[in-house]
Amino acid sequence: MIHRLWAIALNTFREAARIRVLYGILVLVVGANLLAVVLGEMSINEQSRVARDIGLAGISLFGSLTAIFLGVFLLYGEVQRRTIYTIVTKPIARWEFVAGKYLGMVLILSVLVALFTGAMMALLTWQGVAITGALGKAVFLAWCEVLTVAAIAVFFSAFSSPFLSGIFALALFVIGRVTPDLRNAANDAEATWIRGVARATLEIVPDLHLFAISGRTVEGKAVSVHGDFVSWGYVLSSAGHGLFWILALLTFACVLFQRRDFV
Amino acid sequence: MADDAIIRTTDLVKTYRTPFRRKRVEALKGVSFEVGKGEVFGFLGPNGAGKTTTIRCLMGLCQITGGSATILGQPVPSRAARQRLGFLPEQPYFYDYLTVGELLDLGGRLFGLSHAERTGRADRLIKRVGLDHARGQALKKFSKGMLQRSGLAMALINDPELVVLDEPMSGLDPVGRKEVRDLILELRDAGKSVFFSSHILSDVEQISDRVAIVVGGKIQDVGRPRDLVGHAPLGTEVVLAIPPGDDGGVPAVVADIKARADSVRVAHGELIVGLAAGVDVDDFLAFARGHHGKVVSVTPRHETLEDLFMRRVEAERTRGAQKAAS
Repeated sequence: MIHRLWAIALNTFREAARIRVLYGILVLVVGANLLAVVLGEMSINEQSRVARDIGLAGISLFGSLTAIFLGVFLLYGEVQRRTIYTIVTKPIARWEFVAGKYLGMVLILSVLVALFTGAMMALLTWQGVAITGALGKAVFLAWCEVLTVAAIAVFFSAFSSPFLSGIFALALFVIGRVTPDLRNAANDAEATWIRGVARATLEIVPDLHLFAISGRTVEGKAVSVHGDFVSWGYVLSSAGHGLFWILALLTFACVLFQRRDFV
Repeated sequence: MADDAIIRTTDLVKTYRTPFRRKRVEALKGVSFEVGKGEVFGFLGPNGAGKTTTIRCLMGLCQITGGSATILGQPVPSRAARQRLGFLPEQPYFYDYLTVGELLDLGGRLFGLSHAERTGRADRLIKRVGLDHARGQALKKFSKGMLQRSGLAMALINDPELVVLDEPMSGLDPVGRKEVRDLILELRDAGKSVFFSSHILSDVEQISDRVAIVVGGKIQDVGRPRDLVGHAPLGTEVVLAIPPGDDGGVPAVVADIKARADSVRVAHGELIVGLAAGVDVDDFLAFARGHHGKVVSVTPRHETLEDLFMRRVEAERTRGAQKAAS
């Protein structure tokens, strides 16, 4: 099973490399760091803060957008181009194909996160700022978010066109980021139906806010990547939440893909 | 054949729903046939007859609506069976950013072959299908024929017992078609079974041990090509060279020949005469010679696979028209 998953993952990574997705990512990395340098110079003694904020925002935003862009084409493209005919007629289960494709995306997105992180750390080192454990935790959380968003996109790609999948995935990404507001609405909204909708939405949407908490309040304590940050316990618990959603979404994607006729 | 059937379908039914109106379309209406071990089996039918749908059901690309099918003794869909077969889809589409070597390497990995096996087999197959000169090129630069050959190599990477080819000669020039025919015969000589679909009748007739004709989602005939078309002659074709008449025009005897023949036409200064099955050919030849006619050739005409095929297609069309009218 491992060799089949690896074969599909490697091919997915190779496709992204050959269609120059990685070059696009590199351009984003360079662009984000130039922006960090420019904005840092414009700020007063806040260069390192700007570099960290832009670096982390870059991972989270560009990573999630890349995940959506690649994910919505991941399965749909295989069916449309009919390349799937030569693959699923080999001794591979359809779930292995879906999982292998997702693993390939994980490789691509991990390269993106690594490039962004590397560039951010190089910039901070150049500015003479020490690399802290908080930054490592924040990068890890951003990576978990990107992989969760990728699973959302892959799920929609199993049964929908790239355009619709993109809209759905983007909507879930945005909703997933505003879960504290939804929670407030679920508890405090005057209209019963708003409370009901907010509660239902919280049940069916991954809580992506868990992964982007710098500058927010967690368990009554203000946390920031520039100062006091969350514990490893929080990081692991959030990663567990992401893993649960990734497995759930991929399972649904596999079930839907299993039932499809390729005509 | 019942025990050593490599492929067996029993009353295979496949029904689709159209995307928006959800109209029910019966693509296969009870397809039954068997393919024996070591056999080259041609699956013949016009466009839309159900050839590709049958193959897709057998390959697990479509779910079977009714009936049953087994491949290599395993019920379809079966991963164990797919381990032992090779498949070339109709108009194969591959990852066009790969080279043919990378494509075969991907196929080999999916079959769990070791690195040495993948490399060795890919090397041999690339040479066998004549793509050695294009090893370094991405598949997007390949012609249709080269893609077809890449697909054939991909179908053979696991050294399969059964090879399923969907329209393998489609889009190929005469040289490419002959190469594919030779490859199929080579596979048979190596003890493999080959199941292929085509609507190129001459190709099917030349290389198939047995054929099935599918029309309108139903099998119309199954058997050896010679058994299917029958042995009774349909008539005789006689080619005559007749000297011109006294005035240099059409000789008077041509009118008498037309009266005795089924059809008469002139080509390259010769008369091509079609005689019906019951006509005494010796008597006709004596008559022609008696009028200074020179006999160029005499060919008995038997029913061909094409005649049978066209008859089945016409019958189905008539049935369809009658159904629509009622």
